[in-house]
Amino acid sequence: MATRLFLVATLLLSCLAATSHGEILFSSIKSSLLVSASHRQGVLKAGEDDITLTWSYKSSNLAGTDSTYKTVKLKLCYAPISQKDRAWRRTEDHLKKDKTCQFDIVTKPYKSANNNFTWTIERDVPTGTYFVRAYALNSAGEESGYGQNTNAEKTDDLFEVQAISGRHATLDICSVVFSVFSVVSLFGFFYMEKRKAKASQHN
Amino acid sequence: MELESNADRKFALPVDSEHKATEFRVYSASAPHMRSFHLSWVSFFSCFVSTFAAPPLLPIIRDNLDLTATDIGNAGIAAVSGAVFARIAMGTACDLFGPRLASSALILLTAPAVFLTAISNSAISFLLVRFFTGFSLATFVSTQFWMSSMFSANVVGTANGIAGGWGNLGGGAAQLIMPLVFSLIHKIGATEFTAWRIAFFIPALFQALSAYAVFFLGQDMPDGNYAQLHKSGEKHKDNMSDVLYHAVTNYRGWILALTYGYCFGVELTVDNIIAQYFFDSFHVNLHTAGIIAASFGLANLFSRPGGGILSDIVAKRFGMRGRLWALWIVQTIGGLLCVLLGKVESLSGSIVVMLVFSVFCQAACGLTFGVVPFVSRRYVFHLVFVLLLKVYFT
Repeated sequence: MATRLFLVATLLLSCLAATSHGEILFSSIKSSLLVSASHRQGVLKAGEDDITLTWSYKSSNLAGTDSTYKTVKLKLCYAPISQKDRAWRRTEDHLKKDKTCQFDIVTKPYKSANNNFTWTIERDVPTGTYFVRAYALNSAGEESGYGQNTNAEKTDDLFEVQAISGRHATLDICSVVFSVFSVVSLFGFFYMEKRKAKASQHN
Repeated sequence: MELESNADRKFALPVDSEHKATEFRVYSASAPHMRSFHLSWVSFFSCFVSTFAAPPLLPIIRDNLDLTATDIGNAGIAAVSGAVFARIAMGTACDLFGPRLASSALILLTAPAVFLTAISNSAISFLLVRFFTGFSLATFVSTQFWMSSMFSANVVGTANGIAGGWGNLGGGAAQLIMPLVFSLIHKIGATEFTAWRIAFFIPALFQALSAYAVFFLGQDMPDGNYAQLHKSGEKHKDNMSDVLYHAVTNYRGWILALTYGYCFGVELTVDNIIAQYFFDSFHVNLHTAGIIAASFGLANLFSRPGGGILSDIVAKRFGMRGRLWALWIVQTIGGLLCVLLGKVESLSGSIVVMLVFSVFCQAACGLTFGVVPFVSRRYVFHLVFVLLLKVYFT
């Protein structure tokens, strides 16, 4: 009972802590960065292939709006087709609740031009269709601007990633061997049981 | 051929004329009564762990196997629906071969499904392994059958309730064990998509080992095993179709099936979805979601046994009527709490309501099985029909 109360109290406190942050909406931040991603043709393999990213400040913006930008965070984001029937990847306007971009690529200090980074797609990236988004953060770590390598509808310049299977030959062999052993030992039991029953009959 | 005399056999617990124990001592492991109890609840627990090993790891599995919400839902239904027909077959098997052989056979036949979960690579293979793993939940029937063979009427509610409750605990324990095993393996160096696969060997091995324990250490009845008792003429072999006919035509079985569908069916549904629900709706991490989800199933430690014990207590003063009233009251309160759970919006509120709801829901299950053994002496098929409909309520 005491542990339960403690658990409830901890969760309550952590909820209160969470709501004290500012709530930033995606619709309120400006598209102020140009982002492009280049990669080889075809479906990219997680853990093997890389993508080269470049980003810069959009010169068409009014000069001076990038003075608050301190760092740039690049993220790998799900395209709409990979979000379908998967509520855990849903796009929400509240950036704290948004689940579109679940993988961090890199965080770098902000420079208005001449930025590039080559990222090897990590082994925990699932199979899906993606795009890259860059958030410009101010000194408080809050999102103040963004850019993405696709259009606003998220239909152009998407790329596909094929995940690792996670399976290994050893694992496959162990699974099968143990399974077979379980069934074989069962038949061993039946045989033993029959013999015991026959023995008690002959008493 | 000489019949062995059982009249002077000594038992550690006081027994009645059928050599069923009239007392239930949970700290004892004396053969054959209490040892059977411990073997049956531990093996049933292992089956529950295996069946609900996937839900807490779904946030990883769904990314590895590229599952959609529909795939996950279907796999969850498959996990608990396989048990329906397996439980029917299990009832027959217990009658014919005895609970010891029947349960160890089922557990060993379903262990491969758990081992093979480690190599599944698509939505279909995932659904199939969950479906076949779910068959192991039929060990519930052998557990209840075994307890009813070993314990007399005045303690059978307690024995059934505790064995069933501590077995159901596996659904909660899995939500704690699996994320822990997973992070351990992940820390050692395996990538996430490999670590969850290796983690499945733990419930699989536990399940197989419990089957061996049941086979080597267990005993069907206080006087021995079926095979020897049949051959020596001490146990009468039941005619299956007769038993089946009498079970189906007994209206009480159908009523209990209906009520059980709304307590145990609900419990299984919640076991399947609760971790994901908290993970996705309240934005807690995998560990936290697992802990919250676990606390639902862990209430089984005392709530289902509590139902069984309560049934025996009210029976002392009010007999069968007391058992039935207690069942109705507890289950109704559980139903109201379920409605309330759906209406609560905050995380802490949801957890509190879920915990109270779990107690009532599981106690109702325990109370149901305080009634079941009295429906008929050859009651096995009543278990079957009691359980048959529960799945349709999931």
